[in-house]
Amino acid sequence: MDFGNYKKGETLGTVITITSGKGGVGKSTTTANIATALALRGKKVVAVDFDIGLRNLDMILGLENRIVYDVVDVMDGKCNLSQAIIKDKRTQNLHFLPASQTKDKDVLNKDKVEKLVNDLKEKFDYILIDSPAGIESGFEHSIYLADRALIVTTPEISSVRDADRVIGIIDAKSKKAQEGEEVQKHIIINRLKPELVEKGEMLNVEDVLHILALPLIGVVPDDEDIVKSTNLGEPIVLDEKSIVGEAFRRIAARIEGEDVEFLDLKSKKGFLDKLKGLFK
Amino acid sequence: MSFFDIFKKKKSKDVAKDRLMMMLAYERANTKIENLEEMKKELIGVVKKYLNVKDIVIKTDSNQDIETLEVEIILDK
Repeated sequence: MDFGNYKKGETLGTVITITSGKGGVGKSTTTANIATALALRGKKVVAVDFDIGLRNLDMILGLENRIVYDVVDVMDGKCNLSQAIIKDKRTQNLHFLPASQTKDKDVLNKDKVEKLVNDLKEKFDYILIDSPAGIESGFEHSIYLADRALIVTTPEISSVRDADRVIGIIDAKSKKAQEGEEVQKHIIINRLKPELVEKGEMLNVEDVLHILALPLIGVVPDDEDIVKSTNLGEPIVLDEKSIVGEAFRRIAARIEGEDVEFLDLKSKKGFLDKLKGLFK
Repeated sequence: MSFFDIFKKKKSKDVAKDRLMMMLAYERANTKIENLEEMKKELIGVVKKYLNVKDIVIKTDSNQDIETLEVEIILDK
C-alpha cells in the first residue's frame, strides 16, 4: 500500500505518547480525537495502539473491520509496515496501527519498538502512541521514545493520584531524558463537569494543575455526545458543532504551537436554577 | 459559590484536594529515592568506621521551593 503523499516536513516526525496511569480516563478516545484533528489540519498522522492484549483504539476509530496485521506482526517481521498500517477512508492523512490481541503482554522488546518507531518517524509528521494503563512494561515501551507526553486525567482523586505517579517516572523511562533532553509534558483534563465545579464538588482546573505542577494543553468537558460517537466509531472532532470536538481541535492546534484560548466551560443551567442555587 | 456558603462546611472538592496533597507528599517522598535501603546500608558502613551506629533514619521532605533529606544517625552507647 502506498501512503499517499509523503510527509510534509523534511524533519523526522514527532512522537507523542498519550498516557494516564489509571485506566478508563479516556486515553484511547483522546488519542483517536487528537490524531483525527491533526490529520484534519493536513498533517500525516499515525495512531499506534500499544495496549497489547486489550485492543481498543480500533473501535473508537471505527477501523476494527479492516485489521489484517498488527504491531507485533510488524515487529516480528511477519509483514512489513505498509501491510499493517490502515489508512482511514474518511479522514485523509489519518493512519492506524493496531495492537496485537496476543495474551502475552510482554511480547514487545526495546530494540524492536525502537526500530518500528524510527521507521514511522520517517513516514509521518506525528506518531501518536496510545499507552496502556498502569506503569508496567507496556507503559515503558510506549514512553521510551516519546518526544512529548500528554497525561490524561479526570478531576477525580484516584485519577490525579495515578497521573502524579506516572509523571514521576516518565523521565526515568525516557530515552530523551537519559540523553539529557527533556520530554515535553502536558496535562489534559478530561470529563470536567462544569455544574459540579461551580458547586465546589469537583476539583477545578486550577486545583489539578496546582497538584500536578505541569502546564495544561486542554480541558475536555464531560458530554453525552461522546458515547454516541464511540458507538458509531466516529471520532467526535469530525462533528464540527460539538464542544468536545472543539476541545480536541484546540489541543491539536496547541500541539502545533498555536496560542489558542481555552474553552470557557460553564454549566448549562438557566437563570432560575442559579437563583435556587443562591438559597440552597 | 453563593454568599451563604461561607457559613457552610468545607466544599467536597477542597477536602479532595487536601487529601490528595497529603497523599502525594508522602508518595513523592517515597519514590524519589529508588535505592533508599541501599543508601542506608552504605551510610551505616561509612559511619561505622568511626562510631558505633545503632540505626539510621532517613526522612525526605519538600515544599514549593526546597527539598530536604534528613539523616538521623542513632549512636550505640
